[in-house]
Amino acid sequence: MTLGLKITNVSKTWNPDGADPVPAVRNLTLDVALGEFVVLLGPSGCGKSSLLYIVAGLEDATEGSVTFDGLEVTEPSPERSLIFQEASLYPWLTVQDNITFGLKIAGQSPKKQEEAAERLLRLVGLVGAGERRPHELSGGMRQRAALARALAMEPKVLLMDEPFAALDIQTRARMQGHLLNIWESSKASVLLVTHSIDEALALADRVVVFTARPGQIKAEIAITAPRPRDMRSPEMIDLARQCEALLGEEVEKSFKEQELT
Amino acid sequence: MSDETLGASLAQSKQGGLVTRVLKRLEPTLWVLASISIFVGFWEFAWWRGWANPLLLPPPHIFLANLPDQFRFFDPGGTRAGALATGGSIFSVLGVIAWSSLRVTVGLALGFVLSLAIGIGIRYFRVFGKLVLPLVTMLAPISPVAWLPVAVFIFGIGNPPAIFLVFIAIFFIMTLATLSQIDNVPVHYIQLARIMGCSKRQIYRHVILPSILPELFVTLRMNLFAAWMAVLIAEAVGVGSGLGQVTMMARNTFNASLVFFTMTLIGLTGFAFDQILRHIQRKVLWWVGPSNVGGL
Repeated sequence: MTLGLKITNVSKTWNPDGADPVPAVRNLTLDVALGEFVVLLGPSGCGKSSLLYIVAGLEDATEGSVTFDGLEVTEPSPERSLIFQEASLYPWLTVQDNITFGLKIAGQSPKKQEEAAERLLRLVGLVGAGERRPHELSGGMRQRAALARALAMEPKVLLMDEPFAALDIQTRARMQGHLLNIWESSKASVLLVTHSIDEALALADRVVVFTARPGQIKAEIAITAPRPRDMRSPEMIDLARQCEALLGEEVEKSFKEQELT
Repeated sequence: MSDETLGASLAQSKQGGLVTRVLKRLEPTLWVLASISIFVGFWEFAWWRGWANPLLLPPPHIFLANLPDQFRFFDPGGTRAGALATGGSIFSVLGVIAWSSLRVTVGLALGFVLSLAIGIGIRYFRVFGKLVLPLVTMLAPISPVAWLPVAVFIFGIGNPPAIFLVFIAIFFIMTLATLSQIDNVPVHYIQLARIMGCSKRQIYRHVILPSILPELFVTLRMNLFAAWMAVLIAEAVGVGSGLGQVTMMARNTFNASLVFFTMTLIGLTGFAFDQILRHIQRKVLWWVGPSNVGGL
């Protein structure tokens, strides 16, 4: 049995029996070890989000298999938590009730929920915001609350779908630092989707570059530099150039495809 | 800014604040009054120029002039119907309004709860949905007026047919609205609930229900006026009391003043109902920002 996430020969076609089937991911194989931080980098619409949904168990793969800790993924589970680009907090619940939503569903006692909420609010830097409503928070705060909600379920892998794309650059950098701290203390694996090269290089142990749709793995780049990384160091600039070259070809391809249709 | 000027400007803003605050509070009311005044103004002007026959279109200063004379046509019990009614006080008028309001309230409450239950049932139980949805869609376009004979056949005379008619006026529309709201729940809400380990039942209870309630309440408010129209029809024909009955009796006795007086009462009561629902919406469904509650 292999621990961690194992994606084997996965293909996904949207609308497979319809008149206009859309292949999203083709024949993709990828392993994410325990505690590893893997970033999927690719042009928009290349199927990287589809892959995330399959791993979360929200969508079935058309072909291939996904196993987690040796068990086939067939349905969603709190141990594979997903974080969306928009925080998607429930607007009718307070921040604290949002964070403990999963614990309440799991039938934990109110006292335990209270304790968990306090710990998590501190962890994500939202102390004192527990009684606020989601619409009263800034985008960054909302995304931190969403992170706390995912962490409440003690996930073994965090799946993140362009989690910081809707935030401004400054907030984004802070959130990345935050995420790294939380990741280091939680020992969870992270599979994060982004189209930002800087974000990929700042965060990842391993960057997986996707091709244009249907998504396949074009290249894998391991990054050993310790964090926090100086993005202006020669090593990082060199990596950024590599990524840019790889990504540029694919963006070109997907542009051409769009022009045809 | 120096401390002194800061203090002065603070005092000024405090003073200005009081006047502005009072004006701010009064502003909605002033607009309502202005809106009514324009309408009344045109009407009175038409009467003054002799365009509006006071027998057919008596302006407000005529139909509001002799209130006790109008009041005597109102009998909350509905036992002495028509021109024979010998009510007479403001309380009998309020009593008549109360009866109509009660029918509307009960009908609305029943319609809201049942349409919510049936709507959720249609989406929750597949077979039930497939069997019931075509029926609901076919019955929805039938006007409450067409249901009136049915209401009387089933319930006879009295409160039940009026309540039934209010119920019918909103039930099918609200059921279809419930379905469309369920289908429009953001897909991320449901995906998150699934990840958090919610069962289907828990998703409906903890996610779908709270996320559809605000919009449904708005729909209810929009159909409030349809409910009022239905109750007036029922009262005019099948019940024998209430504002609808007074209007019909006024028509039959060619009492134009009474017609317009009753219409005024209906308008004011409907307005009050809308305000009350709006208030409930604000209190109960706090997560919808005040901007989404609608103006006024």
